[in-house]
Amino acid sequence: MTVVGAEESSAPTTGGVKPERGSRHGRHRGLVRALAKRLGQIVFVLVGVVVVTFSMLHVIPGDPARLILGKFANPESVATLRHTLGLDLPLTEQFTNMVVGLFQGNLGTSLVSRTQTVNDLIWPAYANTMSVVAVSLVISLVIGISVGIITGIRRNDGLDRGLQALMVILLSTPPFMFGMVLLLVALRTKIAPAGGWNGTPIDSLKYIWLPALALSIALAPVIARSLRQSIRETFAQDFVEAAIARGLPRRQVVLRHVLPNSLLPIVGLIGYSLGGLIGGAVVVEMVFNIPGIGSRMMAAVGSRDFPVVQGIALVSAVTVIFFNALADAAYWLIDPRTRTAGS
Amino acid sequence: MTTTTPKTPAPALRPSPHWLRLPRWSFAQRRPRSALALGLGLLALIVLATIFVPMLSPYTATAISGKPLMPPSPQHLFGTDTAGRDVFVRTWLGGRNDLMMVVLVVLGSSIIGTMVGVVASMSSQITDSVLMRLTDALISFPGMIIVMAIALVFSGIGEVGPFPRGALPAVIAIIAINWASYTRLVRGEALSLRSRDFITAATLLGYSKTRIIVRHLLPNLATTVVAYMVVDAIVAVVTIAGMPFIGAGIQPPAPEWGSLMLAGSTVLYSAWWVTVMPGLVVTVYGIALSLIADSLLAEVDGGAR
Repeated sequence: MTVVGAEESSAPTTGGVKPERGSRHGRHRGLVRALAKRLGQIVFVLVGVVVVTFSMLHVIPGDPARLILGKFANPESVATLRHTLGLDLPLTEQFTNMVVGLFQGNLGTSLVSRTQTVNDLIWPAYANTMSVVAVSLVISLVIGISVGIITGIRRNDGLDRGLQALMVILLSTPPFMFGMVLLLVALRTKIAPAGGWNGTPIDSLKYIWLPALALSIALAPVIARSLRQSIRETFAQDFVEAAIARGLPRRQVVLRHVLPNSLLPIVGLIGYSLGGLIGGAVVVEMVFNIPGIGSRMMAAVGSRDFPVVQGIALVSAVTVIFFNALADAAYWLIDPRTRTAGS
Repeated sequence: MTTTTPKTPAPALRPSPHWLRLPRWSFAQRRPRSALALGLGLLALIVLATIFVPMLSPYTATAISGKPLMPPSPQHLFGTDTAGRDVFVRTWLGGRNDLMMVVLVVLGSSIIGTMVGVVASMSSQITDSVLMRLTDALISFPGMIIVMAIALVFSGIGEVGPFPRGALPAVIAIIAINWASYTRLVRGEALSLRSRDFITAATLLGYSKTRIIVRHLLPNLATTVVAYMVVDAIVAVVTIAGMPFIGAGIQPPAPEWGSLMLAGSTVLYSAWWVTVMPGLVVTVYGIALSLIADSLLAEVDGGAR
């Protein structure tokens, strides 16, 4: 086994085999092509989001002008308001206006509070939601990686099985349910404020961690299992065997050889879990009374505030796409093996 | 091995599908049969309870049957809520609504998703990549946000048959996003099946595409799809029960696991049972389904994954 490995690894250095030589350009071409493909995908998704949200909001029953003025407003004033809001323009024109606005970074103006732009309304809420998501990501990584290592290096003993069972039970519990249990604990023991918020995310650190913990039961078990599996796969590889054969202490084998080579799937996992995490955060923050995009969206949906609904859908979709692309790029940077696979 | 197909499966750039990397019961991998029996038993208990508890209980879901906020007791196993209604009956009647919605969501998404996936794997490169880009787009959406908006579009749908107001808009909204994950799964599997000898043989025998799909492809896809349907049924309940928190989903007074928990949140401190009891049922439901899913997967791959 080791002899074959040695032959293979010595081949490129002797220069006997040509294909890898001068392939630097080839590799970059692969990268450029993959990036271009990703970019095309992003554009496709964005166009999709814009078209879908726009058309969706115009088939929704309920006229925003009527909703703003109330049931008893006379038809003339409703018509006037529709005109000022630009709702009487042909749909194509409304669509063009919106797209032009988007290119200028302008998401439009709220129909309900007409002095405020959509940007003013959604970014503070977005920051709050994303801060919960970010803290939850950190908690998930800490819990997930610790449990993953413990269960990965132990072979089906009691602790491994116990932790795995705990992970399945946590995963079977909806985050908002876990959030309510945590809220109950917080109420009884006063370990954290029971929900609420205080201005900006920075000022609200003591409010964040509980909802973030609730949210992380959706991700931490997945990280734990993924890491456990990839640690076991890595352990089976020759270079680990070689490290053990060289007499390295077990701790060093795990920390220096196994772990770095097992963490790669986690990078992708985080990128692809983000959509679900934001969706979960929207519900959890309602439980904890956090003024995030969930409550903003709920208010906007209730009052048919089209531009705000659209803005939130667009911004959250862009966030998810961005992080997916980032996860792909991280793969390219961290693991050279994936570069050839793409092309 | 060396057969060159015009389309190769997606490169192994990404880890295996997320649902295969979900935590699994090691118990289910060692003793799939017992795990399956346990999971099916728990699920059967839940299903039977949703059918019979509302029928046999002396209380009804909407009538006041005791003092408000009575703790769990032999008369009221799950206690009473703020209005003095029996939480036990409301939980199981709510479960009936949840389970009916889950069945619709899982069936709808799996049928649409499988069809699109098979079509993508059998059709031209262009059709395939358009369908897959659409799928990618849907999968990358933050589901809950878009589900809120779609549910709003269909909010005009009232009570239909056994479904209370708000149930069908929620189901439609979830299916509209959810089918895509089946498509990605089915297409991948179908592409790898296509390069197998028995499909090549069928093609060489001159069988029609329809026959190959129906007689050869679908039966071989079935196990994977069914295993994923079970996993999906857990995700679906979390989504459905989460919707009342953002003002969507089943409208009160019809009970539903999520809306029961939401209603209990205002009295969480003094009456934990209004929230926690339905929540525990949801967790047991999740455990039952994950036992079933894991034992199915263990049967499929002998625990190799």
